[in-house]
Parts: sequence; structure tokens; C-alpha cells
Amino acid sequence: MLRMSHLSKVYRTEVIETYALRDFSVHVKEGEFVAVTGPSGSGKTTFLTIAGLLEDFSSGEYWLDGVDTRGMNDRQRSRLRNEKIGFVFQSFNLIPDLNVFDNIDVPLRYRGMGGAERKRRIHAVLERVGLTSRMRHYPAQMSGGQQQRVAIARALVGEPRLLLADEPTGNLDTHMAHGVMELLEELHRGGATLVMVTHDPELAAHAQRQVHIIDGTILELSAEGAAAGQPVAIAPART
Amino acid sequence: MQPHPVFSAIRRNRVAAAVIAVQISLTLAILCNALFIIQQRLALSARSTGTDEPDLFAIANEWVGTVADPIARVRADLALLRSLPGVAGAYVTNSYPLTGSGNGQQLSLDPLQLHAAPAALYSGDEQTLRTLGLRLIAGRNFRTEEVANFGLFDNPRPPALIITQALARKLFPAGDGLGRGVYMEGQRVKTPIIGIVTRLQVPWTTISGWGSAWSDSSIIVPFRDVSPSAYYIVRARPGQLSTLMKIAPRRLIALNHDRVINRVQSFEQARAEVYRDDRGLAVILAVVCAVLLIVTAFGIVGLTSYWVAQRRQQIGIRRALGATRLAIVRHFQAENLIIVSTGAIAGIALGVGANLWMVSTFATARLPLIYLLAGTAVVLGLGQLAALRPALRAASVPPAEATRTV
Amino acid sequence: MFGYYLSLTLRGVRRNPVLTALIISAIGVGIGASMTTFAVFRAMNGDPIAYKASQLYVPQIQNWDPNIHSQNSSAQPDGLSDQLSYIDAVALMRAHAASRQTALYETRSVLTPPDPQLLPFQIGTRAGYADLFAMFDVPFAYGGPWSAADDAAHAPVAVISRALNDKIFGGGDSVGKVLRLDGQDYRVVGVLRDWKPVPRYYDLQDPFGIEPDDVFMPFTRAIDQHKLARESSNCSGGEPPASGWSGWLQSECVWLQFWVELPTAADAARYRTFLHHYAQDQQRSGRFHWAARTQLRDLRQWLSYEHVVSDEVRILVVVGFGFLLVCLVNAMGLMLARVLFRSSDTGVRRALGANRGAVFAQGVIEAAVFGAGGAILGVLLTALGLAGLRALLSREALVLARTDLPQIGMSIALAIAAAVAAGLYPAWRAARVQPALQLRVR
Repeated sequence: MLRMSHLSKVYRTEVIETYALRDFSVHVKEGEFVAVTGPSGSGKTTFLTIAGLLEDFSSGEYWLDGVDTRGMNDRQRSRLRNEKIGFVFQSFNLIPDLNVFDNIDVPLRYRGMGGAERKRRIHAVLERVGLTSRMRHYPAQMSGGQQQRVAIARALVGEPRLLLADEPTGNLDTHMAHGVMELLEELHRGGATLVMVTHDPELAAHAQRQVHIIDGTILELSAEGAAAGQPVAIAPART
Repeated sequence: MQPHPVFSAIRRNRVAAAVIAVQISLTLAILCNALFIIQQRLALSARSTGTDEPDLFAIANEWVGTVADPIARVRADLALLRSLPGVAGAYVTNSYPLTGSGNGQQLSLDPLQLHAAPAALYSGDEQTLRTLGLRLIAGRNFRTEEVANFGLFDNPRPPALIITQALARKLFPAGDGLGRGVYMEGQRVKTPIIGIVTRLQVPWTTISGWGSAWSDSSIIVPFRDVSPSAYYIVRARPGQLSTLMKIAPRRLIALNHDRVINRVQSFEQARAEVYRDDRGLAVILAVVCAVLLIVTAFGIVGLTSYWVAQRRQQIGIRRALGATRLAIVRHFQAENLIIVSTGAIAGIALGVGANLWMVSTFATARLPLIYLLAGTAVVLGLGQLAALRPALRAASVPPAEATRTV
Repeated sequence: MFGYYLSLTLRGVRRNPVLTALIISAIGVGIGASMTTFAVFRAMNGDPIAYKASQLYVPQIQNWDPNIHSQNSSAQPDGLSDQLSYIDAVALMRAHAASRQTALYETRSVLTPPDPQLLPFQIGTRAGYADLFAMFDVPFAYGGPWSAADDAAHAPVAVISRALNDKIFGGGDSVGKVLRLDGQDYRVVGVLRDWKPVPRYYDLQDPFGIEPDDVFMPFTRAIDQHKLARESSNCSGGEPPASGWSGWLQSECVWLQFWVELPTAADAARYRTFLHHYAQDQQRSGRFHWAARTQLRDLRQWLSYEHVVSDEVRILVVVGFGFLLVCLVNAMGLMLARVLFRSSDTGVRRALGANRGAVFAQGVIEAAVFGAGGAILGVLLTALGLAGLRALLSREALVLARTDLPQIGMSIALAIAAAVAAGLYPAWRAARVQPALQLRVR
């Protein structure tokens, strides 16, 4: 599903060259639930933005669902993003001007879908996250947990192949966080491919597989190491 | 307060700064020129005619059809007018100041008119000076016997002239005009100047049209205008003007029906009418300037507010590091000052350029420095004032903002 | 997608109404100011007989000594006078070198109404030859022009305006009725429909018709009756006239307008040659002591030569468009602020699949919506502005600047175009926003 080979991302200023990701390789199969951990500044956010086609990379390869994304222009990337990926952000990032229906509607609009089809999908996905009654409400009128569920609904409505979550429970209290994690696990059980970035080892434990990023390179964690919360493998993962 | 952070802040937000600077420059260019035009037009419309306007009015008289005895009729009219109670003087003439139309002449010291001074020509008699309230600074008034009748297409040479001081200075810079003679257009014999009055304006009042370059050059010729269409100028005693303006025409018609009184107009009404466009333009430009300043001010408030909102965390960091509220305000005011000053420099160049273009197209005058300075001061003040509210809002950002991550 | 962007714009308005109001106000005020002055300019600069403008011509002849002609004479900057003397006008008429031709001048008459209770009053009178009605396509309600025979016979006939017809005869077909002008009887041969070309191109001393042409009479008759020209006559270039009316007619004073109709370019070329030969004849006969100089201008050239639009109006037009420019820059700045305020939302949209083109399109549509709002405000302000101008300036400067449909159309088109132009850069900046997961601190 998601395959990166020897990928590097360099930020160049006049004086400094910073490697956010260095010779990075990772392979996520379809249906996997992967947690990505690492200290702040390690590059895990960069990994997510590149995985989400939000940024271009300097060298290497990135294949998403069998498509080579190297050299794609903005239009191609936007289209791929729209069709294949669903995002769940830490700060929900719902558009405050729009109500729940219209927020979920956004990705469908950029797909050029007809009105009836959009309506059907939105209703279906709202029911799935249990927020049909809130369809006409605005984000400001809802709790953090509800907003995140709307965001998840938005991520799902386009029937994406890959779900990318960035600290999905970071802004929620324990109770709401629990609800959201349950929803994510349910989606995984339903067959979704889920990559979740988190710094919380407890949350990471929910995942099938853990990947640790330090200084722009990747370390794979074994299942036992994951339970102990310690990285075990020294060598970088190979594909 | 170091300048450096201010400059770097501006550089980072070049476009927004440029937007403000461009607005300022355009506003300044328009403002300077508009203020100048306003001043010019107001000064134009405030010029004195040299006559006692509050007490004067004119009756536009026209005989119906061809008249056999115009001289007798005019004599009778004048006798009637002069006899009315409240009248302090009356005469008949071809034109008067503030009408916008009249007759012109050229005076020269040489018969070929190679160097001639243009002047407005007013016909009058021995009562003219008294009626208009003109003051002689040299010489004498016309004598009754000097006054001849003057019909349409008569072109006699007047026996004497009264001219204005301005014209006298032009013809005789040494100041010895009295008693000297001048050639009028087409005349082979000189006409002596018997009197010089302080001031009498030409009838034309436009800022750059006919007569504007010599608006104080007038001559009075001792001719009683008996042509079919002429004006009676009447001087009322103080307080009698409005009554006389109603009575006089009625009495004239009663005296002789074969006429049309086209118009009865006081000099003050004439002034209001003839300068209406100039005053109107001044008002319009003033309104435009005011609205322009408001629009620019709002633009500055809007963009500066956006800036402040974008840099909340930065401001918080500064405050956390020890900057006082005042320092924050000063920083934003300094930013504004630099941007507005840059715009003002461009605006001065633009304003001067616009003025030069107007000088060549409309024959207006060149922009005096004072307007550029005044305009710049206004625009700088406006900028600082507009930036004040966003700056104060910036100053109220708590140091805790420094720690916000999202 | 257009409908989607439209609804997004309207919803965005609700979020930040003040900013939106400022943007629309800026555009509206700019449009209002510039369109107001432009309306006046358009009215004054009109081309009232456009379909015939290239067939009507004005001849000019230098009948003053160019060496003596001082800067004080009111000739045009090129040294030619814009009127003709009587000698030249009559000579040109006699030569009949054009298919239609007329000498013209404006004068006044005193009309004695049929009702003896009413006082006599002055009316504007235009003296000309019968051809003028055909040349200027003057529309008749009743009757028609007088004939060439009437011109030759100096007949006391008249054509009256609709306004005068209503005033004196109470309307209706007044052909054959008698009009008493200057104590003489004139027979009405025609009554005009409403006719007010703007500008009144055949009379550039009073181009806006402050004194309307209530009566037309034969030129020959007016001369017979010693009717004096109302507008400026100029004698400063030559010898002053001898006394009396005949002295006036024989002088080199210029006080007449002259128009010819020359249907084709060949006709015009022929007339130009004729005119030049005429001037050379005058030189040969000793009347002119200088090189013959003539000019023939068609209507459009004549209008621009005569600077019909007053300086005040020109200044206002320039100020109006400068004002518009400031307002547009202002609107652009505010639109930029709006776009940048919203960049986090834009980032989210990008993440969800909007490519740069979509974001740009959204920005442009938004700008167009603001333009439409500004257009409405602008049209209202233009109407207000014209009313204000009418109150402040005299009729002469303003005449007939009306808010009509083409004007409104122009305002709307300009508002939207200008708003879109101003919105291009902000839209471009919006499109450059990176797709974002969350606000990043770099």
C-alpha cells in the first residue's frame, strides 16, 4: 500500500542543509495498523506529510497503492490525495465557517461528484460515526470528541485506501480519546489501512506494528519491544 | 529601539507593506494637487472686482424691434432711475464685472499695435465712478460734455480714457501714465488718459481662459450705450437693494412698454453664479480628499491588524523577554512610519509628475512646495493614527502567547 | 464548482462581515467616484451624429495677418480662427462647392406673444440656410424646412422648436401661423420634434444648449434685419470695423460658423483644394498680405479641436480614476489580509484534495462576488454622485449626464473586472499555501 525506498527530504537555506528524513525506507501493507513514534523533531511529522502527498521529497521513491509518486505535479498529487488518503489531524482542522455536513462534503466536491451521491455518502458516514443528529451544527457548537469524529467521517467519506492520523487524540480528554481510538480500531477491523503518528506509547500499543523514527531514520520495533515500550532492533528496517 | 527588527519585519511581509505604500503614494499625489486646485479656485472666486458689490445691481434691457429714438429713450430711463428714492447713482453700459462676457480692447503706445496691452472695455458716463464706488488715485472723472452717445456699430474715438492702475503700470512702468495718450485698436490718433482708478476687474472670470492673464486691466470710455441691448447699473443706498430690484424694472416698463427686461441681477448674485463651477469643484475635491483619506486609513487599519494577528506569538516572545508595552507600540508605529514614508516619497514624485502633466494639458500653475509638505504631513499623521489601534492591540498581547504552540 | 465557490464566499462573509463590508465599500466607492465623473465626460464628449460625423466639415480661413495677430486674440493655438467673416461666408455660399452647405450664427429675438396680456420675451434664434436641416438630420413634427427660394428672397419664415410651439400656440400643427419677432411677422413653415444633440456640435460657444434654439430663420433674413451675433465676435486680428452694419459686414471680424456636407473622401479633397484656391485668390486680390492658409476639419476632428469638455470635468475624470486606483489597491490589500487570515483553512482544503488551480479559482470567484457587491453599491453611489454634481456645478458643466442602462452596464462590468484584477494576487497567494496538517512552527 505504502512503500518508501531510500527517501530523503532536505531543507536547504542559504547557510544550512537539514535532513528531515535520511535514506528512509518503509513498507506498509494493505490492512495494516502501524503506529509511528519518535521524539519531537525526529521527522515523524515530515514522514506523515510526505506519506500524505502534502510535500514533495528530495530523493528516493514513494509508491502509494501501486502508483509511483515521483515527479508528480501539484494537480496529480492533489487528485491522488483526494482519492486515496484520509487525514485525521490532532487539532481536527474542521473549517469553522461550515457546518458538519459541509465539512464532510469538502473532499467530495473536489472529486466532482454529483449532489445526490454526495448526500448519500455523507449520510452513510455520519451514521457510522454516530453523529447524524449533528449534521447541521457548526464545529464551535460541539465538543472536542465530536469534532474529531466529524474529522474522521470526513476522512472516510471519500472511501480512501489509506488513513493517516497525526496524534488523533492529542487534544482530547481521556474519555473522548478512548471513544476515538475505539472508532479507529473498528475501522481497522473493517479492513482499513491505518498509519498513526503518536508520542504516547500506550496509544502506540493499540497498533499491530510500531515504527520508530529518530533523526530522520527509521527503526523497526518488534512486538516484544513494543510491549515494553523500548526499541529493540538496532538495524534499520529493510524492504 | 533598534531599527533592524523593524526593517526585517517589513521585508518579510513585503507585499502588504507595498500595498500600503502604493495607496499612500497615490493618495498623496491626489491630495497635494487637489488641495492646490481647491486653493486656486477659492482664491479665484474671492477676488475683489473693485466695486461696491453689496449695493449694486444690473438691469438687462432690450428694445423690441427697431427703435427710432434710442438716445431719448435711454436718457429718459436714466433720468427715471436716478430719480428713484434710494438710488445713489445709475448709468448705462455694455458690460460689468462678473458677467463672464464683455468687450475687449487693445491699448498700445505705438499706432501699429506691435506691443499692445489687452484690456476690458466698459462704457460709462460721469456717474460711473460714483455708482460703482471706484476710487481715483490720479486725475479726474469724465465731464458731462465729454460723454458721447454710442450706438451699435458706432466706432468713434473716445476723447478721454479712465484706466486701472494695473493697466497704467503695464503701459507706463515709470508711473507717469496720467495725461499721456495711448492708441486704441484701429485708431491713428492717441486718446489721453485723464484718470486712473485703483481697481476694476474684467468681466471674464475663468481661471485660465480669455482675460485671466490680465484680469485687472480695464478701461472706461465716456460713451453712453444706446444700442438695442444694454445694462443699467444701479447703486442702491444701504438697505435699499432688494426693494429697488423689484421697483426699478416695474417703473421702467411703466415708462415704456416696448422693451424686454431680460434680467435683474445683483452683483452678489452674479458673483455666486459665475463662480459656481469653481466653488463646486473645490467642494467636490474636498469631499474626494476626505473619502480618500478615510479609505486609505481603513486599509492601513485592516492590513496592520492582520500583521499583528499573524505575529502574536512573536510579540509574546518579545514581551516575555522584557519588552514593555510601549516598546511594542513603538515598534509597530515605527514600521508604519517607514512604510508610509516610503509611500510618501513615491507620492511626492507622482504628485509632481501629475502636476506637470496638468500644467501642460490644462495650463494650471505649478505645484508650490508647501502643498507637498502639507500633504506629506497629513499622510504621515494619518498613517500613524490608523496604525495606533492595531499597535495598541499588539501591546496587549500577553507574554504567555510566547508559549502557545498551536 | 462555480456554485460551490459562490456559496463558500457567502458563508465566508458571515464569518468576517466587517472585512467583507470594507472590501465591498472600497470597490463600490471607487466605482461610484470614477463612474460619476466618467458619466459626465461621456455626456460631454458624445458623438451625437456619429453616422454622419465623417461627412460634415468645417472650413477655416486665415483672414488675419499672422505677424500682427497677437497672443491676445482668441484664435486657436494653431493661429486660425474658428469662425469666418461675413465676406468669406457669403463667398463660400455663392461658390457652392459642396452639395450641401450653410453659414450659421446664433442670435436673439424678442417674441411678442399673441396674447397681449403676456409680456414680450427674448428667445434664442439660429440663423442659417435651408440646407442645415438636411445636413444635421433635424427631425420635424409638422411641416418642413423653408426652401432655397426663401433663402434667396430673404423671406420672413421660421421653423420653431417643440417647446416654443407648446408655449406660444399650445402645441399642435402650427404651420402657417404667424410669429411676431422683433416687431415683424414671420410665417411658421415647420415645427420640430424634440431635438437636442449633445454636444451641440454646430455651436461650440454654447455646446450644451444653455440657450436653446427656439427659432430658426433664414440667414439672409437675419442679416437684413441687422441681427447681431450673440456669441463672441472677434475683431482683434485685423482693422477694426467701419461704423454701421455694413461696416460690420465688410470687416474682417469673424463671427459666423460654416458647415458643409461632403459625402465622400473625394468630395472632401476637392473642397480642400477649392478652399485653398479661394484663399490664394484673396491673396492675389490684395485682401490678404500673407500666404494663403486654410483648413478643413470633419466633425470629430472639430470636436476635439474645440475642447468641448471643460477643464473642470477633465480634472475630475482624472481624479475619479486615480481614486478608483487607490480603492482597488485598498481592496486588494484587504482581500490579501482575508486570504492570509484563512490560510489554515486553505491548507486543510489543499490537504483534502484541492489543487492550486481550485484554490485560485475559488479566490477569483470570491473577488468577482465582491465585485458584484461593489457594483451595486457603485451604481447607487454614481446616481448619488451625479445628483451631487448637478447641485454643485452649473448646468453648463454637467448637462444630461444621466444614469442610463449602458452606464449601469459599464459600471457593473468595470466593478467585476476591477475586483477580479485586484483579487488575482490574493488568489495566487492563497493557491501558494501549502497543504497542511497543522500549524507548523518553522
